[in-house]
Amino acid sequence: MILKNNLKEVRQKKGLTQEELGVNVGVSRQTIISIERYRYKPTLELAMKLAENLNIKIEKLFYFEQE
Amino acid sequence: MLLSKKEISILIEIIYSIVFALIFLPYFYENQGKNLILMDGLIEKITQIIICTVIYFAIAYSILEVAFKKKETRDERDDMINSKSYKLGYLLYEFSLFIFIGYVFSKFQNKELLNLTGNLELYNSFKLTDAGIIFIVLVLLAFISVIKSLYQFYLYRTV
Repeated sequence: MILKNNLKEVRQKKGLTQEELGVNVGVSRQTIISIERYRYKPTLELAMKLAENLNIKIEKLFYFEQE
Repeated sequence: MLLSKKEISILIEIIYSIVFALIFLPYFYENQGKNLILMDGLIEKITQIIICTVIYFAIAYSILEVAFKKKETRDERDDMINSKSYKLGYLLYEFSLFIFIGYVFSKFQNKELLNLTGNLELYNSFKLTDAGIIFIVLVLLAFISVIKSLYQFYLYRTV
């Protein structure tokens, strides 16, 4: 199973840039890019911060996909 | 290829290690047969290394700060990349230390064997001076530092 996310879609829907979202949750723009490209798996703390900031349930933002 | 501030600071470290190896290691290589006390201008060389290092990093980081005025956030991704690259560096240090200890012991053992066989000419050519040990340690430090920084750079580009 691969951990995937809807971060890019949800962020764009909220009208936020990667930079703005990064500042809101206290990480760099590169970290947001890496998460959106599935290169980096965030910690639970960051995942919860992202979900809270984007006003979405964490299980809607991050999900498992069968290989 | 656009590089971030962190990536450029890693490149600064890599360049420093390579330049240090190219400029200062030949001096230690040439003097490796001597004892530390007999090395010509050792204090001057150490002073030169310290001054050059301070000047290099002061200039490089000042330019970096001017070029990238915006402060970059340090987050969990940086911690993950650092822990991975430092782990590799630590493993390499540990591995090279074992090789180095083995090398020193084999050198002593070979010397004793030559002594037992009465081959005095070869016996006298087997030297392991403190300057020689320092040279090997510096080579290892420079080499491992470059490998660690290259891996760190690779992780920043790919993770």
